[in-house]
Amino acid sequence: MSTAEAMDITVAEGQPDSKTRRYDRQLRLWAASGQSALENSRLLVISASATSTSVLKNLVLPGIGHFTILDPATVTARDAGNNFFLEGQSSIGKSRAEEAVRLLAELNDGVVGKADTSSLEHILDTNPAYFASYTLVIAHNLEPKLLERLSTLLWADDTLPTLVAVNSAGFLGEFHIQFHEHTIIDSHSETAPSLRIDKAFPALYDYATTLDFATMDPTDHTHVPYVIILVRALADWKSAHDGKPPQTAADKKAFKEGIQALKIKIDEENFDEAEAQAYRCWTETRVPSEIAALFQDPQLSALSPTSPPFFHLLDALRQFTLQPPHTLPLTSTLPDMKANTGSYIHLQKLYKTRAEEEKATFKSFLAVPQDDALVDSFVKNAHGLKVLRGKKYGALDANPAALASALAESPKAAAIHLALSALAAVTPASPQPTVEELTAAAQALLPPGTELPDEFSDAVGEVARSPTADLPNTAAFLGGLVAQEVIKMITKQYVPVDGYCVVDLVETWTGVV
Amino acid sequence: MATTDWEDRYYDIDQVLNTPGPRTDPAFLAGDGVKDFLRNQAKILVIGAGGLGCEILANLALTGFKDIHVIDMDTIDISNLNRQFLFRQKDVGQPKATVAAEFIMKRVPGCKVTPYFGKIQDKDDDYYLQFNLVICGLDSVEARRWMSATLVNLVDPENPESLKPLIDGGTEGFKGQARVILPTITSCYECSLDMLNKQTVFPICTIANTPRLPEHCIEWASVLEWPRVHGDKQKDTDDPEHIGWLYTVAAARAKEFNIEGVTWALTQGVVKNIIPAIASTNAIIAASCCNEAFKIATSSAAYLNNYFMLIGTDGVYSYTFEHEKREDCPVCGGEALDVSISSELTVEEFIDYLVERQDIQIKKPSLSTPTSQIYLQAPPQLEEATRPNLKKKVKELVSQGGEVTVTSTSLPFSLSLQISFT
Repeated sequence: MSTAEAMDITVAEGQPDSKTRRYDRQLRLWAASGQSALENSRLLVISASATSTSVLKNLVLPGIGHFTILDPATVTARDAGNNFFLEGQSSIGKSRAEEAVRLLAELNDGVVGKADTSSLEHILDTNPAYFASYTLVIAHNLEPKLLERLSTLLWADDTLPTLVAVNSAGFLGEFHIQFHEHTIIDSHSETAPSLRIDKAFPALYDYATTLDFATMDPTDHTHVPYVIILVRALADWKSAHDGKPPQTAADKKAFKEGIQALKIKIDEENFDEAEAQAYRCWTETRVPSEIAALFQDPQLSALSPTSPPFFHLLDALRQFTLQPPHTLPLTSTLPDMKANTGSYIHLQKLYKTRAEEEKATFKSFLAVPQDDALVDSFVKNAHGLKVLRGKKYGALDANPAALASALAESPKAAAIHLALSALAAVTPASPQPTVEELTAAAQALLPPGTELPDEFSDAVGEVARSPTADLPNTAAFLGGLVAQEVIKMITKQYVPVDGYCVVDLVETWTGVV
Repeated sequence: MATTDWEDRYYDIDQVLNTPGPRTDPAFLAGDGVKDFLRNQAKILVIGAGGLGCEILANLALTGFKDIHVIDMDTIDISNLNRQFLFRQKDVGQPKATVAAEFIMKRVPGCKVTPYFGKIQDKDDDYYLQFNLVICGLDSVEARRWMSATLVNLVDPENPESLKPLIDGGTEGFKGQARVILPTITSCYECSLDMLNKQTVFPICTIANTPRLPEHCIEWASVLEWPRVHGDKQKDTDDPEHIGWLYTVAAARAKEFNIEGVTWALTQGVVKNIIPAIASTNAIIAASCCNEAFKIATSSAAYLNNYFMLIGTDGVYSYTFEHEKREDCPVCGGEALDVSISSELTVEEFIDYLVERQDIQIKKPSLSTPTSQIYLQAPPQLEEATRPNLKKKVKELVSQGGEVTVTSTSLPFSLSLQISFT
């Protein structure tokens, strides 16, 4: 077709609208589905500290739907110095929530921001239903007693929002996500789904076994996709070896040599690709163990018409895998490989047709019909599904034995968590705690007689040095990390962190406790 | 102290400047001296006023740096607004450096930001010598190599002031890295070139004859059809009409070959080599860069030694390690790079080999030996004069163990190769 003819084709799609252009660089990560989840979210942020506004900045920019800052404080001289979302001295004395909301809302016209100058304590006392309308609540350096009340309230009912608790002092910081149940369909897993070369579906098997390599046109020979070569080579091998795939090292070597022997010219790269991918012939395609483990989920044994769609889909998947060939449904995504257009597109069509058939089988196992787009996405991403269950904030600190074993397992990270917990325990009674006071508070959280590791003195020394410092760089670093996790929670894409994520900006590393 | 410093302005930061921590170097001089240096003397250069640059400028200003310079050659595009938070819709089309500098000066009183709307290559050694520190927030490998090599070349062993720490950050989606480079002392940007992901390059024969993927159709439109139809007219990947043309042509080719998946977004992504970018990752990496700058400028805590890598796709995973200097680094190593090639290789093939090599990555190299010119890309007369050498074997022009010097206009250094034939 000439270019002139090409120009006559009506453009199916013009330049994207301005919203798509604005969000282009993030839509390439979480697509329209993730974006719409963000736009439907409502966030509550408790306090307009430098860390809080840093988190919010990174969520207003990508376009959450709504945020409220809950903060009764007025801007102090120190706030005006370390918070980018206050306007220097001219903000001093004004409502901190109102100033921050005004300057954050400027970042994105599509986001609604609201300042609430009431006190959290008052809301907890008089209006606990306040939180129900939010998707997620973020609190920074919240007074421990209030944090305990808030986390207990939000934990009690699994319809209440997720809570992200952030704590920091000087160069150290940590955060914890308290969530009930979090299911992920699109985890953006970096492992590719199986091509099922070892369990070739009938159309693929028939195609591969009827090709006549010997009489083929030499150009076509150079363009047979490696998938076909392998299916064929495996079929030939099995028929000569009692139906068994190559097993021993000698078998595998012989199998690879057999592939090389099929070449009619030395530079046929498709056969080299086949040799490199030969392991697929003796690695049995099965249901990945992490996915099989999900079939034991309590939600499945208690499945009812009102169960979340995810678990209906998961149960259909479980039933699907009970059938031969005992694999996940086939996906039609084919990697690129040496081939010409015709042979590649033909192979792609075989996979696509089979994937559609298996999807229909999968759907027949659904007790409650689900949206087509959801089914598509579920089947396509079945190899990376996740079901996560969180812990209540503070559960670790309430369990001395668990804390002690965390300290033994990862002393560097756990030492930072412990030092920050000790700081929370001694303030506000002692706003400038000594290393001794903090160490005693840490010891009190552990089983009697537990020896503190050397790493603890590094951590506690930093905390004592700067117990109330909300450093701009630490705030920005935590602001970025927390926003990333919040985006993952809201979009239900990618995998959020499990446990306390701790940060040491002296040596610059992060860890998980 | 400057008059704009109201009481308690630095209440938070002063906590770490008034007292050392357990891991602070004993040479740290807590108190007024370090504050005076940070706030009244330190002069810092930021390269890039984009995704990382906006964040870097804001953090530096808040931590108390008051003499900041920023270089950026770009203007603001609508697709920047999802993360480059110093820019608004009304600023689209304006130079990034200028708008960013004005915003910071308005928001953070007393902080002076001097913008330069142009290229880093416009500036000479004297310009770079005036700074205490350089932070790079770039998306271009070439610009980073240039900056790193320039700062390495600037080091005069007789003059400790000539050693300018370079802090470099980079992000892609949920991933990023930050590193501290002490030119000539620790590994430089060039030392780690082989850590970069290799860019996907589609062979011309696939694009021309056997397309399989939508990307192949887009490359066909961009690499083969555009010059064929438009001749010398420059393709502008920022011009929606040009992208529209490429999209239409690519879509038609895809239809002809039954290939699915050519979209406007993919077309733009392929021809502009778009890297996904979000505010949160930029915030983490920029904060890390600025934190290192703050620690180096104040000695208030140890600084990163020397590479921090973050992967935020599956949980929060990070890895901090010391990247080692390469003894045969063409920029900071001082030794010639040993290259072993077939005695059958032609000069043309040798050039392709150099372009392909992951630890060299040189574009349009010119080659010479200490006594003769092998092939020069420019000027045209010399190119023409040396062109016949392309078909000759390297062995005819270079002796066993001989030295070849490779230069390229994209790099501020030359590469010395020691050739052995197999």
